[in-house]
Amino acid sequence: MLSSAKHQRKHRVSAPNKNKILNKVPSISSSSSPSHSQVQKRSLITMEEVWKDINLASIHHLNHHSQHPQHNHEPRFRSHNHQNQNPNSIFQDFLNRPLNLEPTIPTSLSGDATTVTALFGSSPLAPPATVLSLNSSACFEFLDNQDPLVTSNSNLHSHNHLTNVRSSDTPFEALVTSTCFGKKRGQESNEGSGNRHHKRMIKNRESAARSRARKQEYELELKVAHLKAENARLKRQQDQLKMAAANQQPKKNTLQRSSSALF
Amino acid sequence: MSVNNRDPLVVGGVIGDVLERFTRSIDLRVTYGQREVTNGLDIRPSQILNKPRVEIGGEDLRNFYTLVMVDPDVPSPSNPHLREYLHWLVTDIPATTGTTFGNEIVSYESPRPTSGIHRIVLVLFRQLGRQTVYEPGWRQQFNTREFAALYNLGLPVAAVYFNCQRDNGCGGRRN
Repeated sequence: MLSSAKHQRKHRVSAPNKNKILNKVPSISSSSSPSHSQVQKRSLITMEEVWKDINLASIHHLNHHSQHPQHNHEPRFRSHNHQNQNPNSIFQDFLNRPLNLEPTIPTSLSGDATTVTALFGSSPLAPPATVLSLNSSACFEFLDNQDPLVTSNSNLHSHNHLTNVRSSDTPFEALVTSTCFGKKRGQESNEGSGNRHHKRMIKNRESAARSRARKQEYELELKVAHLKAENARLKRQQDQLKMAAANQQPKKNTLQRSSSALF
Repeated sequence: MSVNNRDPLVVGGVIGDVLERFTRSIDLRVTYGQREVTNGLDIRPSQILNKPRVEIGGEDLRNFYTLVMVDPDVPSPSNPHLREYLHWLVTDIPATTGTTFGNEIVSYESPRPTSGIHRIVLVLFRQLGRQTVYEPGWRQQFNTREFAALYNLGLPVAAVYFNCQRDNGCGGRRN
């Protein structure tokens, strides 16, 4: 986690730069970072530079210059190997991370937040927009090649909202899981999917219990109806027997019993 | 008549979710068209568009009763956060008569469950006397227990419930 501390420091240092960069994003014109100006071919690259700069693994940002042309055209769901040591667990780590954010992180995240918002803003059908390094343990990349302007605008608009969202884990998780970053849900967060499974199981059990109760009800009602019918039948039978007995009045008043047998 | 664990109202969870345990003392007969409602009966919304015929027992015409019809499984039985939904409220029903002789405080709204199989419960309470009952502000999140406490209705004297689900299909998967 030492590297993460390093990353955080870098993050804070670069925060003001990030803000500047973001302000310039809508204009598509330039990047405040001189090192990136060389690679600027179109607005997309600028955007990418912005997000790359935000990347906490910013050691690599110098290397990204050469990789930009490639990154523009390749899907980068799993291409952040070079940026982070644990590509598959980035998201999971991020989500599993407890919310003990340092106070400076929200500031540094103001740029990051916009990126994450891009993620949320994009529909599940669109390619995941941004991979953002919010912390040393998490790493996001900007992937949206189609309309960076729109994305960046939406980022700017909603970054405030996102920083609020950041304050609680659950809505963030909910947002994340609902956006579907192109990964299977199982990969997003071990905890989240476990909870979902658990809840689903509980709900299923309750539903099953209700079904059993309904079935038992149905059986009971059938039984009641059956018993009622039998009761009515027996009563009628009893009345008939009474009538028959009344018609045949016994000659003797006393009842005669047969001799009781010994066996 | 004693209430045991195999009482349909207990099995169906009506005792517990909606009502306290009680002892039946008054006859309650609810009929939709030709079908008499028995506990747990499956009825579709299309069959209960109009209010049912309700006939109650008792002996003394000077006793008045209140009928409450609620759905405790709104919006769905697995997530009934709007429990209960008040479908019908009739007060001042004289004994041996029916709802047509009572005072319809809340008009009959036919159940239209969108999700899951809902229980629809009809409860009969005995009033202390003729009393003014104020209609609640809204139908949902009605609480029969609280309502009975508010108007000193005591424990129910009769209840019946049936199951109702939407006419066509299941309504799709919900989150």
